[in-house]
Amino acid sequence: MDRVPPRVLSAAVGLIVLALWELLARTVYAGSYRLSPPTAVVVDFFEFRDLYLRNLWHSTKTAAWGFLWGNLAAIALAGVASIIPVLRRSIGAIALTIFCLPFIAVAPILRLITGPGNGTPIALSALAVVFTTYVAALLGFDLAPGSALDVVRSYGRGRFAAFRRVRLRASVPAMIAGLQIAAPAAFLGAVVGEFTGARSGLGILTVRALGSLNTDRIWVIALLSTIVATGGYMAIGALGRYLCPWSPALDLGAVPTPRQEPGLVNRLVALLAPILVVFVFWYAFLWVFQIKPFFAKTPFDVWAELFTNADAAETRSSVFGALGTTLWTTSLGYVAGLVGAMVTAVVFILVPWLERSLMPLAVALRSIPIIVTTPVIILFVGRGLLTTTAIVAVMSFFPTLVNCYAAMRRTPEGILDVLKSYDARSVANVRNAYLPSAVPALLASARIAVPTSLLGATVAEWLATGDGIGAVMVIAFTRNDYNVLWVSVAVLTLVAVVGYWLVAAVELRALERMAPGVSR
Amino acid sequence: MARRGAPVDVVGVGRTFALGGGEVEALRGFDMHVPAGGFNALIGPSGCGKSTALRLVAGLDVPDEGTIDMDGASPDQMRRGRRIGVAFQDPSLLPWRTVSTNIRLALELVGRRHDTAAVSDLIELVGLQGFEKARPAQLSGGMRQRVAIARSLVTEPDLLLLDEPFGALDALTRQQLNDELQRIWTARGTTTILVTHSIPEAVYVADEVLVMSPRPGRVVAHHAIDFERPRTRELLLTDEFHAKVEAVSGSLHRSEGQVVRLEADDS
Ligand SMILES: Nc1ncnc2c1ncn2[C@@H]1O[C@H](COP(=O)(O)OP(=O)(O)OP(=O)(O)O)[C@@H](O)[C@H]1O
Ligand SMILES: [Mg+2]
Repeated sequence: MDRVPPRVLSAAVGLIVLALWELLARTVYAGSYRLSPPTAVVVDFFEFRDLYLRNLWHSTKTAAWGFLWGNLAAIALAGVASIIPVLRRSIGAIALTIFCLPFIAVAPILRLITGPGNGTPIALSALAVVFTTYVAALLGFDLAPGSALDVVRSYGRGRFAAFRRVRLRASVPAMIAGLQIAAPAAFLGAVVGEFTGARSGLGILTVRALGSLNTDRIWVIALLSTIVATGGYMAIGALGRYLCPWSPALDLGAVPTPRQEPGLVNRLVALLAPILVVFVFWYAFLWVFQIKPFFAKTPFDVWAELFTNADAAETRSSVFGALGTTLWTTSLGYVAGLVGAMVTAVVFILVPWLERSLMPLAVALRSIPIIVTTPVIILFVGRGLLTTTAIVAVMSFFPTLVNCYAAMRRTPEGILDVLKSYDARSVANVRNAYLPSAVPALLASARIAVPTSLLGATVAEWLATGDGIGAVMVIAFTRNDYNVLWVSVAVLTLVAVVGYWLVAAVELRALERMAPGVSR
Repeated sequence: MARRGAPVDVVGVGRTFALGGGEVEALRGFDMHVPAGGFNALIGPSGCGKSTALRLVAGLDVPDEGTIDMDGASPDQMRRGRRIGVAFQDPSLLPWRTVSTNIRLALELVGRRHDTAAVSDLIELVGLQGFEKARPAQLSGGMRQRVAIARSLVTEPDLLLLDEPFGALDALTRQQLNDELQRIWTARGTTTILVTHSIPEAVYVADEVLVMSPRPGRVVAHHAIDFERPRTRELLLTDEFHAKVEAVSGSLHRSEGQVVRLEADDS
């Protein structure tokens, strides 16, 4: 086993998976509308090639526009945050809030502005890339060598000159790493935007296929989406290696969360300023686009709907009841995904040939936006509560696996040698070296997975399960009940932001405990 | 003095690494004998295979040719019998453990996790009282080295292997740790092999100094060091000490074919 080259091993594993898939689809799952055999998928693709290619082209174009606008906006935000550090926390809050939006429910609201055309998918696609690119760009700006900055300063030039002459240049590797992640994310945004209505594109094609239980079509679309999203990811990766071959791969998941300045006043400002900024943006959004009051809801409208209106109690019970269901199914999947990823990473560490055969697959799957394969999972698992759990688990599993395994691999050789010199058993190695080494990566992945899990859950509920807050939003959308729609979006976003910060707090604590004073 | 530990016999050992398509022959015909309870220092030009030799003796790597025998046991058997203690140049502490739990790690691994007395004895021996609860990041470089040495000693190994454990330290701390190392070795009498870059350090602590050739490394000179123990810092100022240092340095010079500076901090 040890002598087989990894490429051959991966190819062999790929073929075995395909063969098993075909076999299962033709026997156990025959006639079940769950699993299409690979051969049928290929045949269907060629039979309806024009349809597929037309819609694929449409979605790709949409994603490309979203990619462009979203990244420009993110880099501009990061630039402002870098030049004017006071604004950093507030801009970060806006980026995070955007990341935490339940995109599927934002689509109908955006459609009020953009009309029925392609504007909403483009806008969602842009929103989907803002946070990661913002984080990557800011990380890149911060990585600028202090000595070079000092040179600029020694000529009496200010922050802007330092930014233009040093930081922008220094940020290229981090920026490319961010854009790499943004490529599949933009595709995700486009497809999710199309889920709620579009003239063409893979998203609307999927919704129609789900309605008519066209299993083959759903599988073809999932595969096409995977190929395009992964292609974008790899193309930008290749571009990055061409442009700056010297730069090491950056682990954006491991971006440290900002530290809190001491003092009660500082803390209050740090807490309130971002909230204020988000509210200001909310009002600005309604004002700039001049949305009619029937559709446009302010923070006060949301508050009234939840707490002071005549039917507030009713709204509360329906929204929070559904939210409870969503949180329950989502947390199950979230925990299952994280635990499963850790266990798999440990198995990969202990059984290297397994790692060599399966890891390439995991890396490829990490780069695809699992959400575009949601319909496939819906088909496979059915339309029950478990669907949400399964989707969330799959979504959090792959990035966590890849990050944690990489962290375990980075366990210092010296520590492993010390353990080996006492003939430590595998269990002792895992407990004393590998698991603790992976904790920072696990927590970083867990932090990022909070918003993405909620996004996955609401998409699943919206498209399929008829449960949870996703279903509440669908019903509100079809009844034009914009009060409930806004309330749901606001509540979900708040939950995601709070969840993100809870994990971030645990992360800071753990890092401080595990290695006090060590800045990572 | 209670002499304990295993004698080490290394005969004709060779080790070649594959490196990016080519090969690197690290050791060829490497011979070494350390008597039971002896203290040998290994010195040689950078990259000559000192660490490689030590890893082979520790059973962390396997020679391509030659034999290593310790009182009838192979390094791997010694390692599996948990009779070896190692400390490397990089102290390799677990950052998430405290000083005392880092030392206890070795005890846990040999199945003696409850031996708290051994841990506190060692902490005292290396002078870290009061820092039991500190984590590695809160210690100075020298303190971390001492934790690593304490960890290598706590299981009372029959063989102690030290690979430049003081490499990253300033001359003063280094001298202190040399004194401590000598004291510990005198108290325990464990067979010890110390790899170092510093000739005065080797002459100060060891019974015998072995000088290695450049890669592929082998031992080209033996210098028996028979100064009285316990050796004190006054020794550093004596003519006899300087004569020994000159002699070792001469061997190293010949082995390297180039001028070697004599400073203690040449690492
Ligand atoms: N695992 C390895 N793979 C490939 N080459 C190795 C490996 N370990 C050591 N070498 C090579 O073997 C040679 C000897 O290395 P070693 O680390 O033993 O030297 P050293 O005498 O300890 O040097 P230094 O004094 O700088 O620590 C070097 O050329 C090194 O590149
Ligand atoms: Mg070495």
